[in-house]
Amino acid sequence: MIIELKGVWFAYPGSRRYALRGVHMRVEGGRVVMIEGPNGAGKTTLLKVLALLYRPVKGAVLVNGDDYWSLDPRTQLSLRRRVVYVHERPILLRGSVLENVALGLKLRGVPGAISGALETLRAMGLEYLAERKWRELSAGEAQLVSIARAVAVQPELLLLDEPMAHLDEDRRELLVEILRELKSRGVGIVVASHWPQDELLRIGIDRVVRVVGGEVRAL
Amino acid sequence: MSIVEEVLEITLRSLAVSGTATLLASTWSVPLAYILAKPGRLRGLIASILEALVGIPTVLLGLALYMLFSRSGVLGFLHLLYTAKAIVVGQAILVTPLITVTACRVLKSARESFEEMALALGADDLQAMAIALRESLPGVASSVVMGFSRAVGELGIALMLGGNIRGATRVLTTAIALSVSMGEYDLALYLGAILVAISVLVSVTVKLLEEVQGP
Ligand SMILES: Nc1ncnc2c1ncn2[C@@H]1O[C@H](COP(=O)(O)OP(=O)(O)OP(=O)(O)O)[C@@H](O)[C@H]1O
Ligand SMILES: [Mg+2]
Repeated sequence: MIIELKGVWFAYPGSRRYALRGVHMRVEGGRVVMIEGPNGAGKTTLLKVLALLYRPVKGAVLVNGDDYWSLDPRTQLSLRRRVVYVHERPILLRGSVLENVALGLKLRGVPGAISGALETLRAMGLEYLAERKWRELSAGEAQLVSIARAVAVQPELLLLDEPMAHLDEDRRELLVEILRELKSRGVGIVVASHWPQDELLRIGIDRVVRVVGGEVRAL
Repeated sequence: MSIVEEVLEITLRSLAVSGTATLLASTWSVPLAYILAKPGRLRGLIASILEALVGIPTVLLGLALYMLFSRSGVLGFLHLLYTAKAIVVGQAILVTPLITVTACRVLKSARESFEEMALALGADDLQAMAIALRESLPGVASSVVMGFSRAVGELGIALMLGGNIRGATRVLTTAIALSVSMGEYDLALYLGAILVAISVLVSVTVKLLEEVQGP
């Protein structure tokens, strides 16, 4: 799966400032792209455009060559289901960790969502969290759970917003391992971060994109 | 009819009338709140108008509806005046701004976080809406409770549209007003205590139901 931004401009509703200004960018399966830049640069906004959540004001989002925002809603949905974005601040639903991790599978009507979720938690070494309530998690645990929830649906593109923010050294190591494994299976990964993370280099970053003031410069 | 029976009858009527009015108001207020819970010029304008109407005097609304429902009024042919139905309609309109505005606040943050999270995980629009609504259920329930509390405690509409007819449209607040005017202060206080107790009970029950449903 390839997502390409062609001269994308984006402004939040009710805001007259552009958060993205004429961005060109390309992400694809099996590649790791790192987006860096200072606070307020537009990293989160860029990820949400790539995740097919925000519609640009100007410019086009091409998915496998098709202009996503002029496709019919059903095609849009089936394409959007192959890309998953993980928020900067974990957003969990009331209920257990296991139910949360099963959410994406349930939304797709996959039979055996719960056992699929358990499998993912196991593979990520997070099985011990399965029965915890959403409220009974530390910031780092919540972050890992929201990443697990994304991984569970086996996306072709995984977009992570500051995934390391609350993780200790061991968990960062764990996440790098997981991402490396996903990459080797052909999953495209985009990671946004406002500080350089040497750990991430070990996933094998193919490209670093620097965002400043809503503009993108490839390094 | 003994006095106890009469008080019981009035209490049950208050519950039925204001409960119906609140549920009726919720059927349009909650969807409206959901729609308004997104950024936008027009939405903002509608929301601020509704905010201003939260404290509308009940006598004023009562008077306006009285003119509509009276025999020579536009809606006179409905023959609603001095029926319990008229009070239901009036109270439903009365609590619409309150329920909409308070539910909107809850739904706004739910739409920003839960709805977007659901979409990011592959939900379709309906699924995302269902998730946002479910996560804001406790907050929306509190707005509905507030609406009920305002409805059951208002006097102007019940008096002007209901007419305080014994055995037909007399509710707790109009009964209190009548006792006061007749100098029966003890009875008035007794009825007032029932009124407050009802609001508190409804609120506590809703909270308990939420806890049974689980965090
Ligand atoms: N909901 C919003 N409404 C209006 N403007 C917004 C909104 N979210 C972000 N912005 C603006 O868009 C710009 C880019 O924000 P964005 O969140 O993409 O930055 P970021 O690079 O992710 O920053 P950080 O490192 O702090 O996460 C900022 O100038 C911000 O003020
Ligand atoms: Mg950000």
